[in-house]
Amino acid sequence: MPTVDSFLHVTGLIKSFGGVHALRGAELEVRRGEVHSLVGANGSGKSTLLSILSGQIPPDAGTITLDGVGMRLGNPARALVAGIATVTQETTLVPALSVAENILLGRRKVRKWSGIDWRATRARAEQVLKPLGVDFSCDDPVSELRPDQQQMVEIARAISMDARVLLLDEPTSALTDEEVDSLFSLIRMLQQRGMTTIFVSHRMSELFEITDRITILRDGCTVETGPIEDYDTDRIIDRMVGRTLAPVVRSRISVGRDSTPALRVQGLSVPGHVRDATLEVHTGETVGLAGLAGSGRTELLDAIFGVRARIGGAVELAGVELSSRRVSQAIARGLAYVPGDRKSRGLVLNMTLSENLTMAATSGLPRFRTLPRSRERAQAVSAMREYGIVASSPDSSCAMLSGGNQQKVVLAKWMCTSPRVVLMDEPTRGIDVGAKREIYRLLAEARASGAGILVSSSETEELMLLCDRILVMFRGKIVASLDRAQATDALLARYSMGQL
Amino acid sequence: MTAPIDTNTHSDGAVTARAVRVRRWAASNRFVGVLVLLIVQIIIFSLTQPRFFSVPNIRVLLTSVAILWMIALGLTFVMLTGGFDLSLGAMIGLAGFIFVGFFVNLGVPAPFAIVLTVLSGALLGGGINGFLIGKVGMPFLVVTIGTLSLFQGTTYLVSGTQTISLTSSLLDAIGFNNALGVPITVWFMIGTLIVSQFVLRRTYFGRDVYAVGGNAKAARLAGINVTRTVIAAYAIAGGLAALSGVLEASQISAASPTGDPTIIFAATAAVLLGGTVLGGGEGGVAGTVVGVLFLGVLQNGLSISGLASAWQQVFSGIIVILAVLFHQLQHKGTSFLHPLSE
Repeated sequence: MPTVDSFLHVTGLIKSFGGVHALRGAELEVRRGEVHSLVGANGSGKSTLLSILSGQIPPDAGTITLDGVGMRLGNPARALVAGIATVTQETTLVPALSVAENILLGRRKVRKWSGIDWRATRARAEQVLKPLGVDFSCDDPVSELRPDQQQMVEIARAISMDARVLLLDEPTSALTDEEVDSLFSLIRMLQQRGMTTIFVSHRMSELFEITDRITILRDGCTVETGPIEDYDTDRIIDRMVGRTLAPVVRSRISVGRDSTPALRVQGLSVPGHVRDATLEVHTGETVGLAGLAGSGRTELLDAIFGVRARIGGAVELAGVELSSRRVSQAIARGLAYVPGDRKSRGLVLNMTLSENLTMAATSGLPRFRTLPRSRERAQAVSAMREYGIVASSPDSSCAMLSGGNQQKVVLAKWMCTSPRVVLMDEPTRGIDVGAKREIYRLLAEARASGAGILVSSSETEELMLLCDRILVMFRGKIVASLDRAQATDALLARYSMGQL
Repeated sequence: MTAPIDTNTHSDGAVTARAVRVRRWAASNRFVGVLVLLIVQIIIFSLTQPRFFSVPNIRVLLTSVAILWMIALGLTFVMLTGGFDLSLGAMIGLAGFIFVGFFVNLGVPAPFAIVLTVLSGALLGGGINGFLIGKVGMPFLVVTIGTLSLFQGTTYLVSGTQTISLTSSLLDAIGFNNALGVPITVWFMIGTLIVSQFVLRRTYFGRDVYAVGGNAKAARLAGINVTRTVIAAYAIAGGLAALSGVLEASQISAASPTGDPTIIFAATAAVLLGGTVLGGGEGGVAGTVVGVLFLGVLQNGLSISGLASAWQQVFSGIIVILAVLFHQLQHKGTSFLHPLSE
């Protein structure tokens, strides 16, 4: 039931992706002219809710009413016509065109005989931009604008389409502090003119600065909604993570702390992604890497392995320094890397299971040597048995395997190299619970056999289950190191959002 | 949950196992459709043209596709890595004059001059095309459009646009003699095919070629030296193109500066007909030679039919398009009818 002052009202939203429930009856109630923040941990269904609001995906069930009128869902153009405009972290502007052209993209003023009416186009753009008090001109090419100015052009475009609700999805993630300030003053200015804004950010301080009311999502459900004055950081984080997790009991394996670490990373930086990372992984130890999407976890792992350029810093494997950007050398010394995106980085999908399984272990051999094909097939058959890979034969194409089986192939490929240290990125993303448990079992075996493991994951639960120690990254820096005993959901969430 | 590994292949009778293997072979060798078309074509021409299925004509047919054969083999390596090489046609003419340089100007004995010419072609292909594409990361079209012009221009410069006649007993033997009743040129074709097939299917390098074309990022993450693999593929293409330049010189007993700038179109058609895909990672040289023979038989059959050459071009254009269409339908058909999933 829409209350009197409800402007945008979402009820009973349900959406699942192939058996995974992203939303289980989420609610959202936004009042006219307010800045409403939406918060939730990774996997809370926040992104799905935003995609449905902007019309990119249709929900399985649920309704959305805007100003008392029911919306047809699942169509971006209709969402725009209804007055919901989305501004995402990545701009959708055409860099080579001017500000005016971008604002009126696809709706340029055309005269009957002589093509585009530039004067009318400019006039309309000026008319939108002027009240916003921006410090750039209509004729500037977008490629020369700062990121925050580009965001403003996007917002101006939304206004020119008579948007009544602005959806700002992490608009500040690429901005500096000053740029955030200028964006916020624009949002406030729009608010005075009656614009309703839905704001998403992972930075706690920003929430308190700009928000009127807040809605917290967890596991696809709305936990609660209320005025921001009723909240502080702790309360928000408590609601975000809930108290649903049972403690996991696990035997400890002695970690060789005194000896040389299996992996030592010293002062490593990746321009734009990682700043001065230093860490150690000991033999038989599992170290976790927590942090929000975009915090630099993947880039750090890439740089350690040598597939991404790093500036400064050293990577040592069992006390011996690795030269940067030499992957085969890293593999030969005992480094393995199970990347996060198995389809685009983990496997050559159109090659067979046996070819993929042996690829890493044989990468150091002379290339003119002939393939020991029958031996490889035999190895593949035993690896299939050992790692529980379900496929009709070692000659099956990897493209035919399920996600969980593909992930086991990637893992098995690296275990064939007898690694000292295994780097893993999102080891269980997008695979079902059964395969997940298998992966955990394989990881435990690798650990028991003495490998050091550095695992990055956006699932806190997974890290707490697997790791002896958890490092937290925030905007490219390792900001905290927590022992297993210390780590809690709330603490990890807090550090991940830059609350030290 | 344990893996259901094929335990019934031994017990369940050899017949079904063989059927499964044949079906798998047909699905993994995408040129089967074109092979069928090739056979149909041979039957039609044999029935309608009495001269077609005769030893002299088959010799002519095979030697006439020798240059296309070499270029298409080399192009297959490059296309398997996901690249393309427009400069191969210009390499033919240049190689003729590299051979002249070694053989005439420096007085190197003919066999060594041939080897040095092939190595020079490999060096130019790998060192310029391969380096700029694989190491520097430039787009292959831009690079090879550049080297196409570079090689062609260099050929005109060193030749003074003159054809230079060559007298070499070895070259004449390659161009005109038979061994065991088979033209020596054809032995070259068979040799390069066997070596190419072996390299691609039986060596780590060959697997690297497929891996790089299939997914360069994953290949790199698995420790494969992607740069080296790409450079080697362009070097092989350059070397084979240079060898085809030597064959051309042997057939006309001269080095001609014109080369064959349009042969790359026929070679591309042959490679695509043979099932190697644009973008790389799938296909192979066995399919490519079926594609080459398809084009060769078409050309030969139409010309002994006494058709005006303009009509020959029109027909071969139409037939190539229809063949590709058939090939596409057939391939979609197999993957639809016989999904090789678990």
